[in-house]
Amino acid sequence: MKWKHYLKTAAGGLLVHKSRSVLTILGIVIGIAAIIMISSLGEGANQLILREIQAMGSRTLVVTPGKEPRGPSNINSLFLDALKERELKALQDQSKVPSVVDATPMIIVPGSVSYGGETYDPTTMGSSENFAELMDVYPNPGRFFNAEEVRQNESVAIIGSEVKNKLFGPSEGLGAKIKIRGRYFRVIGIFPQTGSSIFFNMDDLIVIPYTTGQRYLLGTDHFFEIIVRAQSEALVPRAVAEIEATLRETQGITDPEKDYFHIHTQIDLADRVGLVGTILTLLLSSIAAISLLVGGIGIMNIMLVSVTERTREIGLRKAIGATEKNIMTQFVLEAILLTGLGGIIGTTLGITASFIIGQLIRRFGGLEWVFSIPIASALVGITLSCLIGLIFGIFPARSAAKKNPIEALRYE
Amino acid sequence: MEKVKIIETRNLQKTYFSSEGLPTPALRDISITISKGEFVSIMGPSGSGKSTLLHILGLLDEPTKGDYFLDGKNIKDYDKEAIASLRNEKIGFIFQFFNLLARTSVFDNVILPLLYSKVPEKDWKHRALEAIEAVNLGHRKDYLPSQLSGGEKQRVAIARALVTDPSIIFADEPTGNLDSRNGHNILEILQNLNEKQGRTIILITHESHAAAHAQRKIILKDGLVEIDEKILNQLRPTDVIIK
Repeated sequence: MKWKHYLKTAAGGLLVHKSRSVLTILGIVIGIAAIIMISSLGEGANQLILREIQAMGSRTLVVTPGKEPRGPSNINSLFLDALKERELKALQDQSKVPSVVDATPMIIVPGSVSYGGETYDPTTMGSSENFAELMDVYPNPGRFFNAEEVRQNESVAIIGSEVKNKLFGPSEGLGAKIKIRGRYFRVIGIFPQTGSSIFFNMDDLIVIPYTTGQRYLLGTDHFFEIIVRAQSEALVPRAVAEIEATLRETQGITDPEKDYFHIHTQIDLADRVGLVGTILTLLLSSIAAISLLVGGIGIMNIMLVSVTERTREIGLRKAIGATEKNIMTQFVLEAILLTGLGGIIGTTLGITASFIIGQLIRRFGGLEWVFSIPIASALVGITLSCLIGLIFGIFPARSAAKKNPIEALRYE
Repeated sequence: MEKVKIIETRNLQKTYFSSEGLPTPALRDISITISKGEFVSIMGPSGSGKSTLLHILGLLDEPTKGDYFLDGKNIKDYDKEAIASLRNEKIGFIFQFFNLLARTSVFDNVILPLLYSKVPEKDWKHRALEAIEAVNLGHRKDYLPSQLSGGEKQRVAIARALVTDPSIIFADEPTGNLDSRNGHNILEILQNLNEKQGRTIILITHESHAAAHAQRKIILKDGLVEIDEKILNQLRPTDVIIK
């Protein structure tokens, strides 16, 4: 028997119970659609994050206090005091770290900010005069604070556009005194609206001199992190070595195993983001796999019902010369056709849904989302669904092929 | 006419076992010979083993003991695949309940055996149409079984049996589900197939009237051949149809 006729016969068998066939493959459709969506959205998110990391500059290094962090979050560094003025000064010393251009300290000041009757809860950071250049955002209107103001512990602040809107509404706000943790700060600059970004929302930020923050708001003398820029991307490894040597010398560490600081490069960060993405994708995929398994069992169930219903047909086919192989192939093919169709519908659905979600993220999230058609997952999805048909179709098909033609013909 | 043995059984036995393992003999000892071109009716009360015999002769079942020679070859020498292709090439079945595929046109029902045959695909359409014409259903070829009368359905089944050009046709109570007029029509077709095309016909029936259309009748009782005799006045359907 030729494949053309097998296909025709199998398709005919499925078309007899159209609504049943559709309901049967729903599990497969959902499972495959989920897999496609997970991989498409996961890939989109990954690319988005990687682009943001690259936007920060590939020659940027981040030094955090404490040992190498295990997880994706470095919340601990808020409380660790291994990075102080001494370390900052060392990293700003050109003779010690010749490959480094500048070192910018960062502190985070928790708490809300108020002006008049308005209170708002932005992210308040303390940094040095390098901040604007480092992040490539310049206040307009107004200006950023300078080195002198940092040295003098001046109470000045630059606020993001969202903070300004929340506190001042339509009025300009420049020169106004806002209250952070009980201390008044004069607004000397407002960042233009930049749109959100994953790590940093500039619009929701207040930047003050780190010295002021440490002395008057936190009462500490350590940094959350120090952002260091190497002279070029090629010099990043050398800069890392210089920073390590300098910090060890400063802190009196002889055994590198006992380093109480960690240097993050963009490559580290990208790797870590990639790892989180992979774990998430695996997790979600295993859920989708369960849906496929359940779908497969549904297929097997319906195929068994179908085999029983068509006992007479099987008997007749055998009586007129069909071999066991003929019958087996027909029913396996029917199952594969069913699940394969489910796979194709699921893939289409998954791609469509990912595209729509991508558009929504672009429109409402304001992010540069790039939609990618996950060709590999689409192929895997369709192949997988055919495989499910094969696996879960074999048992019912075997029971069809083994039917005794006499019993089958007698069956009412 | 020289007589060529097409079917020969030697001491055929078939025993069924109940789920408790109790043996129930269906055929005790059947030794018969049927020549090419014969029209034989097999009769007997229910439980006599006539259906079992038909199933064994039609290669749908295997004997427990004894030998069955089809066209001079012992069927024990064939494997399952070969048996299936023998069923396809040499044998045509007609059943009491027609066994047509529902939701499948007359044409597609008739072409079905060709799907499993070695007949080249280019001949299929021509062969199927020829078989449909032979039973006078040319005008119904695109109908569905549900749109046909009982007699028409049985004629479709005959066309399906004929499409592979088999040498033996087994008819299992072919008139059992039809009114007498349609029944006669079917018997007439069977006689024509026998006389004009020289096909061997084996008709299982419990109606002695239908059996009288054959040339020879075998009557089974309790799994044994009770009577095996030539029918002297073979009944002609035209003898009874009132015009």
